[in-house]
Parts: sequence; C-alpha cells; structure tokens
Amino acid sequence: MRISYLHGLIGTPTEAPILSALDGAGLDAAVLHLPGFSGTEPDPSTRTIADWTFALSAAIDDAGVTGAPILATSVGAMVALELAAIRPEAFSQIVAVAPLGLWDEADPIADPFAVTLSAQRRLLTTDPTVTAPFFDDPDDLSGDALIEHGVSRYQTRTAAASLVWPIPEFGLAQRIHRVSTPVTILWGADDQLAPPSYLDRFAQSLPNMAGTHIVEEAGHLADWDQPVAVAEATAKALAGR
Amino acid sequence: MKTVFFHLMPYPELPDDFAVEHRSVWVDIDPGLYDPQVGHRAYNEYIDQLEYAATCGFDAVGINEHHSNAYGLMPSPNIIAASLARTCPESVIVVLGDSVALYNPALRVAEEIAMLDSITGGRIVAGFPVGSPMDTIFAYGHNPATLRERYHEGVELITKAWTADEVFSFNGTYNKHRYVNVWPRPVQKPHPPIWIPGGGSVDTWDWCAENDLVYCYLSYFGYKAGLKTMQGFWNRLESLGKPRNPFQGGFAQFIACAETEAEAWELYREPAEYFFNRCLHVYAGFADPPGYKTANTVRAGVEGMVARAAREATARQEAAKAAAGPGKAKPAGGAQQLSFEAMIEKGYIILGNPTQVTEKLHELATTMNVGHLMALAHFGNMSTELVKYNTKLIGEKVLPELAGLFEDEWEDHWWPQGMDATSTAASSGSTVEAGA
Repeated sequence: MRISYLHGLIGTPTEAPILSALDGAGLDAAVLHLPGFSGTEPDPSTRTIADWTFALSAAIDDAGVTGAPILATSVGAMVALELAAIRPEAFSQIVAVAPLGLWDEADPIADPFAVTLSAQRRLLTTDPTVTAPFFDDPDDLSGDALIEHGVSRYQTRTAAASLVWPIPEFGLAQRIHRVSTPVTILWGADDQLAPPSYLDRFAQSLPNMAGTHIVEEAGHLADWDQPVAVAEATAKALAGR
Repeated sequence: MKTVFFHLMPYPELPDDFAVEHRSVWVDIDPGLYDPQVGHRAYNEYIDQLEYAATCGFDAVGINEHHSNAYGLMPSPNIIAASLARTCPESVIVVLGDSVALYNPALRVAEEIAMLDSITGGRIVAGFPVGSPMDTIFAYGHNPATLRERYHEGVELITKAWTADEVFSFNGTYNKHRYVNVWPRPVQKPHPPIWIPGGGSVDTWDWCAENDLVYCYLSYFGYKAGLKTMQGFWNRLESLGKPRNPFQGGFAQFIACAETEAEAWELYREPAEYFFNRCLHVYAGFADPPGYKTANTVRAGVEGMVARAAREATARQEAAKAAAGPGKAKPAGGAQQLSFEAMIEKGYIILGNPTQVTEKLHELATTMNVGHLMALAHFGNMSTELVKYNTKLIGEKVLPELAGLFEDEWEDHWWPQGMDATSTAASSGSTVEAGA
C-alpha cells in the first residue's frame, strides 16, 4: 500500500529504522520532509502554523501522495491534522503518533529545547541509543563534510523548535472538529515529552476516531523506539483491522 | 580611549548555596528568592554608584537589559537611563541596550531613545543587542528561528523612523505600520550612535562591519579570552577594505583596583566569587536553543559567551553532585566553584594597584584594538563603599593615563555629539530649579 510518512522532532535520516520497518510491513512510504528537516533547505518564510501547513500541502502534491494514507509523528502529526482540517481530501486516513497541538495547563507538554542536547536525547526515546543516526556523527565523515552534517542537524533542530515554540499549541483545538478523515492514534507508553493523557484529549476532540493504540516500551518518538511495532500497528489500522 | 562605567545591577543577596541548590540564575530562578526590600535598596544604591562614577572621570555611564534573572535587574534600561538623564548632566549615557526584537512595536525603542536624547541634549548612545537566549527565547518566548530576522527588521524601522523627513508606511513581516511618525525626534543627527553588543556571532561581525556600527564584545571572560573574537571582527572589517578604527570596537572588562595589589586580593574576592559562581550560574539548557545561532556561526564553531558560561556552570554543578555521591544529601559547598585565583590568572578580572591596572588596560586596549572600554567596577555583591573606592581609584589614577589612547590617530565617529552648551536647558536655567 502506498502511504506517506512525515517525521517528528528529529526528521528522517536515511538510516531511520521506521523506513525499513514500514517496508517490512508491506507499506510503500513516500518520505516527506518539512522545510529545514533532514538536510532540506530551510525556508525563512515558513514562520507560522499556516506556513507549515501549506508546506505539507505542497509536499504531498509534489510527492504524488495526495489522498493516500499518512503516518505522521509528533510535530509532523500536528501539521497533518492541521492540513486535514482545511483540506479534507489530503489524506484518506491518518495514523498519528503522539501528535502535538493541544495544551492542558494542568498537564503541560515538556519543553524539548530547554534542556541540554544529551538530556533532549533521553527525553525523546526510552532508549537513547536508537536515535544515534540523528544525534551522533557518522564515523566516515571528516572535515567540511562533518561540519556540514552538524549544520544540517542544527537546522533540523531549528525547524523543530519553530514548530513547538514557545508552546506547541497554535489553535488546533479550534479547528480539530473539522478533521473528517479517519484518525488512528498511537502513543508511546513511556512518553516523557507529551503525557499519554493527551491521547484521550485527541480521542475526545476528533470527530472520526478510528482507534487508539499504546506502544509499549516506547517514548515520544515511538517510531524510533519501536519501529516494527509502529509499522505493524499502522498496517493494521490502514487495513481496518 | 573612552571609558564607560558599566553596571549590570545584579541581585545582591542570593544564598550561599545557590549554585548547589538551584538550577539556574536565569529563566526559572525561584521567585521566592526575591526580597522587594533588597531590590529597593539595590536599585537606589546602583543608581547612586552610576551617578558617582559620572563625577569621577568616566566618559560615560552604561546600562543594559535582561529578563527573569538575578544576574541583572534591568528589564527596562530606559527607565534607569531616564533617571540618569537628569542626575548626570554632563555624562554620556550608553544604553547597551534595548533588545529590539522584544519590543512590539519596535517603534517604542525609537520613541524612548529619542525622548532620552532630547532630555539629555544629545548625550545618548543607542545599543541594540539581539539579546541573550535566556532573555529572548525563554523569558520572552520568541521563536529562535525568527529572532534575528525580527531584530534586523526592528533596527531598520527604528533608524528609518529617526531619519525620515516625512511620514512613511512600513510593511515589514513583524512590524506593519500605516503611519510612522516618531515624535520627539532625536537631537543627534542623523541619529544617536548605534553600538551593537555581541556575544560571538560571526554574522554580527559582518553586520557591524558592513554598516559601520560599533561592535562591542561584552565578555565575562576578560581580554585574554576575548582577543580571538575581537580579531574576528577586525578581520572582517579589513576584508571589506575598511579601516581598523579602534573606536568601532568596544569591550567589557571587570576591574578590581586598590592602593596595593595585596589589598585588592583581599577586597575583591567575595564579590568576584559571588558574580562568577552565582550570577553566572546559568543552566546550559537555556543557553543554546536551536536557531539562535546562525548557520555561519555553527559552521565557524564559535561558542557564544553565554553558552560557555552556562556550559561551565552546569558542568560544575553536575560534577559537584557526582562528587557528593548518592549517599550524601548535598555536594561539598564550593568545592567545584571557580576560584578567585583562576579568575585573575585567566584575565577575567584585571586586579592590582593603579599602575598595574593601567598597564593591563593599556595592553587590553592595544592588543584588542578597542577604543571603547566598558569598565565593570561593580560586580557581584560588592558594597557601595567598595564600588566607590574602586571607581575613584580608576577614575583618578587610571583613566587619565589612558585618556589619550588612539585619540591622536583616529576619530571617534560613534560618540554622542551633544548640543552646543549654550543651547542646553541647563544653560538657560530651566532644569532642576524649574521643576523644584
């Protein structure tokens, strides 16, 4: 099945384990990148949630996956829901892994950028070694290539910060009732960034919930902690099982 | 050389165990540590110290802007400047400065600086910092990716508002105005000198060099560590074919002067340790948010001054915790702190008798090629009595030896012009008496 995949806070390096896991689950994923993520050119004019939503709209059109299902995670899931609210034909189904976009003062989402880099790494996944393709420098790079790798990582983090600054709530609550697309929500059981209680908030707000699923032994970036489980849950949701 | 008596206005009564028990002096510092009575006393003493310095031979008094912290109690430097405008009638006032990106609209800065320039009769320097990450990104919640764009647009709007001969429209990304018409207009023409305080961004070097602005490196770590940064700025100027006019550069330096070196070692230990081990106790997670640095700065591998201070402070705290071990409630107090001896040896503080201080400041100015010195004669929890002692010695015995430096070879294009003395309010007798 042809789907699209949209990253979370650390983009999609080519070594991201979710890509092979999706392939293994029989899903042919077009990998989408928002501007500035994973080595793509930052777009200084992408400033507001409307800009990011337009960027995703263009990305699915350019990739030829408009109307296909999407697996999106974290900030990517937030933008996918925003797009679905204003463009119902964008996706046939949405599988959202720990989407951001809602806010509860009594149960706030942690600030992923008011921490050191090592602490951020521990915050995003239960096993910090799984995100090595993003956080660690490749052994085979040196000199200018290594510097540019670092710049690319910094630009990914910059783009991610733009999507959560200062609070990852940009009015989705006012628009979410317009999301008519069927949505399945997955959430890491050990998410330290966005409390799993937000799963209930999304489930109560979305008018066409297709299902929910807790991913065991996974943090906020469940697709990095448990790529196979996420891929299989996605395939199951898309098959209507 | 011009010397500015520069004040940070720190909160002076942080507890002894602050660096052990608290994560950061900035952003999420415990509000319960603030005692309004201490704050009341501190503000008035600090203003006294600035007024005193204005009578001691300093060319200017200087202040800055910070938020949500005990490092510096000046969220609004213009309020302090307004006070000094009337009580320091002869002194230049360096507002270094207003964090332009934090003002909405940025026109507010154009108005307030124009007011100050009018009140003082053209004795204002307008400093425009991007602002520290703690202030701009965390305390004020600005998106780090757009901060610099917002800042540059704000500076463009302010300078145009000061200089335009007609009412104009400004259609910026962050500032949209159908009518821009700043009243009052600044006394200085085309506008007050603009100084840019920087912490190590290579793009700030470029910007200052290309636009003939003063680049001020406000370092905590002294002239030995600051040389590389200032050199980067001068290299950039040279690459543009522009002269290395020392008055286009500024540098901040802590100074601890006493009649004898031995006395200086005795007098300044406590306030120095207070500043470096409490006022700079910044959590590293607040110092380097992604997007605050430009890609060029990342590429150049330049670590900002704040990021360095925070990294070192957090490392000291973590090392102290590790040394205490899991069985102990608290780490050994002070064991991991930066020592006074290290501060002096590394040049963070210039210490000595007036002759020694003069020699070191001369070395600083000539090796770094800076014509504007931001002298920090107050630091940490220094008493007013000690501040005045330090200030008087510097003013009377050090500054006269440095005053002519660079003056015969270079012209300071970035110093306030002031009004003709015969035209000022003071000359017409309409100042204090009129309001009394």
